[in-house]
Amino acid sequence: MNQRRWLSNFLSVLSPVVLTLLLGGIIITAIGEDPVLTYSVMIQRSLFSYSGILKTLHFAAPLILTGLAIAITFKANIFNMGVEGQAVLGAFFAGVAGFSFTRLPPALHIALCLLAGMAVGVLFALIPAILKARFKVDEMVVTLMLNYVVVEITKYLSQGVYKDPASGYVSTYAIRESAMFKKIFNSDITAFFFISLVVFAIMVVVFKKSKLGYEITAIGLNPEFAEATGMDVRKKILSIMILSGAMSGLAGAGFLMSEKYRYTLDFSGSPGIGWDGMLIALLGGHNPVGIVVAAVFYSALKTGSDYIGLFTNVPKEIVGVIQGILILFLSVRFIDSRFKVLGRVKALVRSHGVSGSGE
Amino acid sequence: MNLLNSILYDTIYHSTPLILAVLGGLFAHKANVLNIGLEGMMLMGAFAATLFVYLTGSLWLGILISILLTLVLGLIFSFFGVTLKSNFIITGLGINIFVQAFSSFILKFMALSNINVSNIISVSALKIELPVIRDIPYLSSLLSGHTAITYLSLILIPVVSIIMFRTKFGVYVRVVGENEEAAKSVGISTVKIRYIAVLIGAVLCALAGANLATERMALFTNGMTSGRGFIAIAAIYCGRAMPVKSTVYALIFGLARSLAINLGLFAGPVSGLFEIVPYLMIVTVLFAVSAFEASHSRIRGFKNG
Repeated sequence: MNQRRWLSNFLSVLSPVVLTLLLGGIIITAIGEDPVLTYSVMIQRSLFSYSGILKTLHFAAPLILTGLAIAITFKANIFNMGVEGQAVLGAFFAGVAGFSFTRLPPALHIALCLLAGMAVGVLFALIPAILKARFKVDEMVVTLMLNYVVVEITKYLSQGVYKDPASGYVSTYAIRESAMFKKIFNSDITAFFFISLVVFAIMVVVFKKSKLGYEITAIGLNPEFAEATGMDVRKKILSIMILSGAMSGLAGAGFLMSEKYRYTLDFSGSPGIGWDGMLIALLGGHNPVGIVVAAVFYSALKTGSDYIGLFTNVPKEIVGVIQGILILFLSVRFIDSRFKVLGRVKALVRSHGVSGSGE
Repeated sequence: MNLLNSILYDTIYHSTPLILAVLGGLFAHKANVLNIGLEGMMLMGAFAATLFVYLTGSLWLGILISILLTLVLGLIFSFFGVTLKSNFIITGLGINIFVQAFSSFILKFMALSNINVSNIISVSALKIELPVIRDIPYLSSLLSGHTAITYLSLILIPVVSIIMFRTKFGVYVRVVGENEEAAKSVGISTVKIRYIAVLIGAVLCALAGANLATERMALFTNGMTSGRGFIAIAAIYCGRAMPVKSTVYALIFGLARSLAINLGLFAGPVSGLFEIVPYLMIVTVLFAVSAFEASHSRIRGFKNG
């Protein structure tokens, strides 16, 4: 029984991935390139060499964090689309802390920058959280709007007070040596990857073993029922968003301190590490272990895409195209009770299905 | 007084894509398939219109093809959201990410950083002066000298209102959204109604995008819709998907952008910060509307959605 469920879960994740890669292949063929060559370059460079694997893991670190940050809110049916903004703002201020303080011992400086990023992420996540919990303002629109606010604020600051005049393009100062994560094992990987694994371990406990994890599931399935059993749903929304903001801020801060070292306008890339996190959360089925697997998979695609330009004429933006198509396919699997009629019926069917097969 | 004139003109100018997306999006919202993909559909409209003006050399052909391509996007959305009963919020976000990536993918492939069609269409020639109104002070800046799609969007406000409240189709859309079972029991095809509702949104979003990129600037740049589709959703929320009420919110947001741009000219070095005004304004308006509604609701405890 358990084995069958595992298999069906696995297939329900695998089939959209295969379909997406097929469609991506059609697009690649349509522009006159070889899809097999393109995909094989991607995978060879990112998974079939020692340095490639470590590079993939290195880029997976922020994605694990943003994936977890999205999953914890989506699971509670809170549509926090602000992970992108929270991560970017966290990164920006981690960067400010990184170049503003001097003569600090590295351990202290790194801790300080990470804390700065997390604090900013939390503060920024609190705006939609309080609006949602106290005034029932739709969190989705608020977080989407605040993302654009972040873009403009960081643009303004990096063109103004924090602009590095020595740089040829718009960029803040580089962070000090003492705030940088050092490359280890003669590769791209840094201690930040292990920090993300620690956060992952904590989240496994939170999701599976803690009271909060249970409450998140309960609120996600039916907030009225959760309220009726005596949960303070308002307070829980705040806790969930604080955790999400902290992980988003950490993701951005770590990405800046282990890879980019300075804030530029294209820091987060396109579609951005927060949006990647959404794909990863969906692909991982809102389950921490699944999220790590999905993050490594997606990071491999992203890392590999840097090399396809060397062998083919396929623009590396193909990864974003694949991401969009994959999200489309994954949307069919992810069930939600946000919309009353449809969602309720589906939740009912599902709960019957689950309890029926469990007996 | 020049300032007031340009604020008035820019309000309509910046409201046009919002009004179109609002009018298109509210059908789907009323039919209970909230379309977050408005943003992506608008971007598709902007991208396809500019690309095909560039390729065919004809403005109207470009707009026509962009409508067709955005309709395909609408069909994809309704196939997933209606037929497959997906979580349409995620579907919509997938559409948004796909279009953004796809347009930059094509641009990269064509080795262009943006699509500039100013040698094919002249932006100033597309502005239509209205005969009598052009001589009336202030009213002329508000209503005269806009493009064809802008006038179309203004005409569509009463048209959509009539469709929604005076036609059989409008009644069906509302019934499907409010009580799906009841709609089914009297023989309404809920699937068909929802498909049409989404497709209307796709057509109007294509026009919004065409207005934004080709008619106004003769230029497409990556991600140029910058959240206008989401702003439209906020307007639909605030106006409870009523055509006139939601349009008023779209105009408020257009006014916010117009004020931010016109007053930003006087702000000197901090003018960059004025860009955030429209977005903050939306959060504030949404907050005010929701807080007002919350204070009038009699539900005890917390109710989601």
